[in-house]
Amino acid sequence: MDGEIAQRSGDEADKEMTRLWRTWRTVYEMLSDRGYEVSDDELQLSLIDFKHKYADPMGYPDRTKMKIQARPTEEMKMKYTALPSKSNPTPQPDCGTIYVDFCPDSSGVGTKQVRAFNHIVDESNFHTGVFITQTPISPSAVRLLSGIPGRICEHFQEQDLLVNITRHELVPKHVLLSPEEKARLLERYRLKESQLPRMQVSDPVARYLGLRRGQVVKIIRKSETAGRYASYRWVI
Amino acid sequence: MAPSQGPPKSILKTSLPSAYAAVNAEQPAPHHSSLSQEEQDRYLQGRPGANARHLDIALQHAQQIQAQKDAEEMILDRTVELLAIPASSSADPASPSPEEARTFKSALVSFRPTDYDNYIMERNYEDLCGYGLCPRKNRKESANARGQTFHFKYGVKGSGPGGRGRSMDIVPREKLEKWCSDECAERALFIRVQLAEEPVWERRASDTRSMRILLLEEARAKRQKQPRAESSSAVEVTADMENLKIQDPDRSRELALERGDNTVIHRDGRVDIQINEKEHGSGPSASAPQWRPEDALGGSIEGHVPKELGNKRPTQDEGDLLDQI
Repeated sequence: MDGEIAQRSGDEADKEMTRLWRTWRTVYEMLSDRGYEVSDDELQLSLIDFKHKYADPMGYPDRTKMKIQARPTEEMKMKYTALPSKSNPTPQPDCGTIYVDFCPDSSGVGTKQVRAFNHIVDESNFHTGVFITQTPISPSAVRLLSGIPGRICEHFQEQDLLVNITRHELVPKHVLLSPEEKARLLERYRLKESQLPRMQVSDPVARYLGLRRGQVVKIIRKSETAGRYASYRWVI
Repeated sequence: MAPSQGPPKSILKTSLPSAYAAVNAEQPAPHHSSLSQEEQDRYLQGRPGANARHLDIALQHAQQIQAQKDAEEMILDRTVELLAIPASSSADPASPSPEEARTFKSALVSFRPTDYDNYIMERNYEDLCGYGLCPRKNRKESANARGQTFHFKYGVKGSGPGGRGRSMDIVPREKLEKWCSDECAERALFIRVQLAEEPVWERRASDTRSMRILLLEEARAKRQKQPRAESSSAVEVTADMENLKIQDPDRSRELALERGDNTVIHRDGRVDIQINEKEHGSGPSASAPQWRPEDALGGSIEGHVPKELGNKRPTQDEGDLLDQI
């Protein structure tokens, strides 16, 4: 009888561990797709290694250990640097170290946990924070999360990241344009940016890539007639 | 042939922008108090189509949006602040400390029902009863009821229809788990119905409806007193009647409150009201209608006088009757 219970709880722990491992991998893929420095070992972490590293004695995942920091690559910095203007001749890249935190609470994530997270982000001077929870967070917590001036905090649920949506065959490739590329595009087509087709910041792919208002993405999809077809979206 | 001086100018103003331009030219731009001339010039520089009026409108909308943001921020702050009360774990929700009750009520003034719901949710996440002045934990259903979405609540014996059996309520479990007890649920929901639906940045300065929030206990105490007050003398009634008059300056101000579009928004998200009384012209008064002889028959219907049908019918009927005989 006892053995049976232990067996069942073991199965459950295994299931949770596997789910969390998938989320973990998606987070790394996401960071790498956004242009942060991520090593191949981290990207291809196997389930066994993951279990070894992040399981508690009971076999359940220990989320308090799961924290990620990553620095942007040079390429990403370039993409996030605004064009030099008269008032700002040497613009600095608007990106920096990202911090990912898994919330250990299994239910009822409210302002308390978000305040703690905000505190860490602010204290350690991270540019961007990603808060990952198991359940939806309360509306006031969402508002609180977006309320730190000068920093960007995003929120995902674990189940949102269970599979990497951008790897699905029906999701075309989204490529972020640098300010310079954007200016060239607008000049080439003689457009104002407001004349481009649009895309919301809340769009799943935009959330995945951490896009910001005003950026332009190039969407490359397969076309039966043309082979490749590129279109552009202005993020609003 | 004389050299033409640029393209001929159209006399007709057909396009909307030119029509607006004409209107704008007639009206002097209202000077904005918070913006100096050089600041205005700085904003308008490099925008050939814009004038001071456009800038003014843009600024006004920006201020409105800012006021809205400030108000939302304030509500969020209040929500977080209110999570700290009641300070003592032995506080009685039925008779809260006057100080905490005052903080609670004054904080809730700016809330909308949805904000209040968020606040309750936030309290539940902290394992507290949803009523803001109750220090107890919210109730949790026993483990075997975990999977059920609904909960059956039975009343006392004899509370059912017709005084037989028990009354029964089917309540969603999550609703039940918001509070520590039914009393607290009642108290919390009593507050919710007093909150104003419109957001605080759209409320008028004198809108007192949601300014005075009553706790359930206070309202009950008041209601018990009221029956005695109701047996009023004729003097009181006449005093009340006096109160109904509109001539009272306070009353008339209340009536005259009408939000104009170019009121200045204050920092705390309230609208500043400037009252302009409308001037009444003493035009000719209409006289009461007078009776005319043709009115006896109901008169015309919008100029049409119906034929007298009444005379025909009886003869036809008579004919039918004769045929039958």
